[in-house]
Amino acid sequence: MSQSVLWEVVKGNNAFLVKRNGLTLSTDPFNNTGVQTYSSTGFITKNAIGVVPTQSKVNQINNVNLVARKSTKFQQVDRKTKNTQSVYASTLSVKHGIHTASRVIRKRFGTRRLGLQKAALRKLVKLNRANAVRRRNEIAATKAQKK
Amino acid sequence: MTSVPLVSVFSADDSSKVTAKHIPLPAVFQTPIRPDIVSFVHTNIAKNRRQAHAVNPQAGMQHSAESWGTGRAVARIPRVSGSGTHRSGQAAFGNQCRKGRMSLPIKVWRRWHRRVNIKQKRHAAATAVAATGIVPLVLARGHRISQVPQIPLVVEDKIESYEKTTDALNFLKRFGAFEDVQKVVSTKVVRAGISKQRGKKYRVRKGPLVVYFNENAKLLKAFRNVPGVEVVNVTRLNLLQLAPGGQLGRFVIWTQSAFAHLDKLFGTYRYTSIIKDGYQLLRPLITNPDLARIINSNQVQEKVQPAKTTKVLHEVQKKNPLKNTKAMDRLNPYAKKQRAAAVAAIKANTKGTKKIKKNKALKKASRAAYNKVAASLNDATKAAVQEEQDIKVKYFSVQKGAAQTE
Repeated sequence: MSQSVLWEVVKGNNAFLVKRNGLTLSTDPFNNTGVQTYSSTGFITKNAIGVVPTQSKVNQINNVNLVARKSTKFQQVDRKTKNTQSVYASTLSVKHGIHTASRVIRKRFGTRRLGLQKAALRKLVKLNRANAVRRRNEIAATKAQKK
Repeated sequence: MTSVPLVSVFSADDSSKVTAKHIPLPAVFQTPIRPDIVSFVHTNIAKNRRQAHAVNPQAGMQHSAESWGTGRAVARIPRVSGSGTHRSGQAAFGNQCRKGRMSLPIKVWRRWHRRVNIKQKRHAAATAVAATGIVPLVLARGHRISQVPQIPLVVEDKIESYEKTTDALNFLKRFGAFEDVQKVVSTKVVRAGISKQRGKKYRVRKGPLVVYFNENAKLLKAFRNVPGVEVVNVTRLNLLQLAPGGQLGRFVIWTQSAFAHLDKLFGTYRYTSIIKDGYQLLRPLITNPDLARIINSNQVQEKVQPAKTTKVLHEVQKKNPLKNTKAMDRLNPYAKKQRAAAVAAIKANTKGTKKIKKNKALKKASRAAYNKVAASLNDATKAAVQEEQDIKVKYFSVQKGAAQTE
């Protein structure tokens, strides 16, 4: 289904839409900017990458997952995939490092859609940094405890 | 589309196993998405389950109230007759009055139901079915389908013989549909308002819709106690279930025979429906709705003029050239050289500070000398003046201290 048609259906009302303080925002996992616009709404496209934090506790970003939108064509599921069988996304955990993740993003977008690419990378970096800060604090706390 | 999209039918026991690999998609799923039709039909059809209600026709009117007329310093509204109670003399009957009847009281013969043209209803149903096969629409409706292996989800007929709710639950878990059920359970809320006292205590979300075909299927009983799940026969597909709230994209689980029946039910683009007599599926207004693809196609790009580059005439923020050197250089390219020359000149002057000091010293000395000379001159003039004064006083008997007029 084309993005334009889907946008017309979805822009007025969808499960990810949040309107607050005169802003039109989106909780779409494939939207890296947070604002609902035609180009940034990833779940209606064929090839979006969402940078999604994984949390074990509230306000704790353990890790970052990349959620890649699969083609909307009907999947032939007899293929054995490592990823959990999912109709709309395959996930890549970013445990291996931020460089592999950024590579995945760059490869997916290529030279196109620089704005979206930058948004994804920006979010990746921010989440990673938040994670690093948290872990640093954790380590400091455990050290202090030991003393 | 040259190739017909294919769908896999899953085994009921194992979500990774596929019993039938490539079943062609029924033509209904290719119907154009028409939210306008669905919205219109839904708003009307939703009114058909309403039960008549009305206000008691005598409510607020059971008085022998009469207006007191003019001249009594009160409003002319009818007032309750009699005496001996607070109520007497109070306003009555009007909608604005306390205890008065409402304006335009609801009558039982209000037009509760709406009829909608059959064709419109069928188009709406077809679109709603089509929307259940589009992942972004199901996501947009809010169903949790991240673990579902395929949409549309078609499962072998075995589930029609499920009798136990545990079987049903396990089936849903196997196919990633349980997340949607969990959503329903966790978001069950006590309804706001009086309705909770009128039999509608909870507001419950919609979960998956299970569509079966065989009439003596037992799965209704297995699935009916699972919160959020609805079960319906293909032949009785209901727009209110396919697009709850007028919102397209319900998460639907089809049994194989139900899925196969859709072609007979709605017909295809080649032949009209058998069951819905003479019904032809809606044709799209535009065969290729992908705007981006059209714009980027060779045919369009050949004819199109080259993209205009936006020429920036000036900065968005004005910079003061008198303060900002770069802005100045932009306006006057020679300014850079001028500045350099000025700097060089200053440097030249400061070069050999000895000379300057010498100059300063000389200046100082000359000034001192001049002052000396000036001072001596002053003294001389003063002395001369004094002398003249003395002579005058001595020889010409001018009074001392008299004003010198010459």
